[in-house]
Amino acid sequence: MARYGMVMDMRTCVGCQACMAACTAENQTPFWNGKFRTHVEDKAQGTFPDVRRVLLPRLCMHCENTPCLSACPTGATFMTEDGIVKVNYDRCIGCYACCIACPYDARYAYDREDVNKEEELYGKFTSHKQPHVDKCTFCDHRVSEGREPACVSTCPTNTRIFGDLDDPNSEVHKLATSGKAQALNQSLGTSPKVYYIPS
Amino acid sequence: MTFVHQEVWHWQIATYLFLGGLGGATFAISALIHLFEGCDRKMLSVAVMSSIGFLVLGTVFLLADMLQPLKAIYALTNPRSWIFWGVIFINFYFVSAIAYVIPLLEVWPKINPYVQKIPRGILDLLERFNKLAALTGSAAGFLVAIYTGLLISAAPAISFWNTPALPLLFVISGFSTGAAFLLLLSTFSKNEESWKIIAKLEELDAMLIVTELIILGAYFNFALFLPTGARESAQVLFHSPLFIIGFFIFGLIVPLAIETYGIFFAKHTKKSGHLLVIASVMVLLGGYLLRYYVLKAGLFQFPW
Ligand code: SF4
Ligand code: SF4
Repeated sequence: MARYGMVMDMRTCVGCQACMAACTAENQTPFWNGKFRTHVEDKAQGTFPDVRRVLLPRLCMHCENTPCLSACPTGATFMTEDGIVKVNYDRCIGCYACCIACPYDARYAYDREDVNKEEELYGKFTSHKQPHVDKCTFCDHRVSEGREPACVSTCPTNTRIFGDLDDPNSEVHKLATSGKAQALNQSLGTSPKVYYIPS
Repeated sequence: MTFVHQEVWHWQIATYLFLGGLGGATFAISALIHLFEGCDRKMLSVAVMSSIGFLVLGTVFLLADMLQPLKAIYALTNPRSWIFWGVIFINFYFVSAIAYVIPLLEVWPKINPYVQKIPRGILDLLERFNKLAALTGSAAGFLVAIYTGLLISAAPAISFWNTPALPLLFVISGFSTGAAFLLLLSTFSKNEESWKIIAKLEELDAMLIVTELIILGAYFNFALFLPTGARESAQVLFHSPLFIIGFFIFGLIVPLAIETYGIFFAKHTKKSGHLLVIASVMVLLGGYLLRYYVLKAGLFQFPW
């Protein structure tokens, strides 16, 4: 079994937000309400005059030790054999326990208003037919066809590198274990599967 | 490091947490008074029925805040989740409370005919095990009250919540609101006997408030110790006038002063009742403000 993960090379991110657009189009996420599965944080680092701009693309970290999954009373949040953390829309009651538990702000509510708006925009090709809590799926529907997540194939600067963390020949494995890459908020013990190479 | 206010759980959940603590504790205290003091059955049944009412109302607030309340039964799926245990505790509570209260309702002439419709065998059984129901019920009430704190302490990135001090604080505050509610109820009683109970409840509530003050001290001391979100949260609370004046002064200190006066100087007659009414209402409002502000001051500590 694969254990999918991602490396973000922050040295190359230019903040074009193409990943956000690609994800929105691929997964019909409610951009109309400013809700996205992936964000690009735009931060200033340091104090004047020694300041730098840091761009940090983020998404669900598909934690190995998953606080959202433990918090979910309904079993709607689950992990696939490939280590992808997903939400079963039919099961989700929208109690938001997972949103509170997630340390990476990876989840948002796909509420009734969003469902209606989506129907208006996409007609019968809607993918979210009822309110639920939503998050990144590593585009598992594409991955199972041997393609990459939408954000990864779209990123013009190759900031996002996706693959099997357990495959010693994969680029993602090499980068993740190179010592250069780090996960965010490691002290929380969530063991994220998204790593960052600092700029 | 960025500190961001949680935008997920608002006053509806605060109301649920408040009513959960209040309902659980009201029942636990009444049942314990029954076991150790013996008590007027009329008062007891009113207290237990109100505590059931609190939890029903609380559950309505919880459900109203969900995206898909009609699927709530699925919440009994994952035993690793605190909500799963909350559902178990609340149902355990409802079963004990109803089993406990039915025989007590026989003292009400208007309700008794309905109670008598229940087959005699069952009624006898409920009567026989009434004290047992009181015992399991107090355990259930305690669990419901402490669960309200456990639920929100399970957020790893909200360091102000993610501490065992929080469930402790909520359970003590819950019992204090429960005692205050019973105190309030007792002042309406026409029965002279109930003034003995009032003296006990007053002492209990004063003790609980003192305990709450000690836990609050430790909690804030801990929160201010490290440069984490907990410190930011504590700052937010220190700068909220309604938290300091409403909860701390009028919800804890003033009622404590009134109750202390009552314990040492008042003779517990109808005359001193008005002060007690004021103190109890203040404790109840303070209990709500505590939940509201703890939720509001929940700050995520994001790594960017
Ligand atoms: S990042 Fe958040 S939503 Fe994603 S697996 Fe971790 S805790 Fe769950
Ligand atoms: S909102 Fe849905 S996915 Fe999240 S914890 Fe509740 S039931 Fe689970």
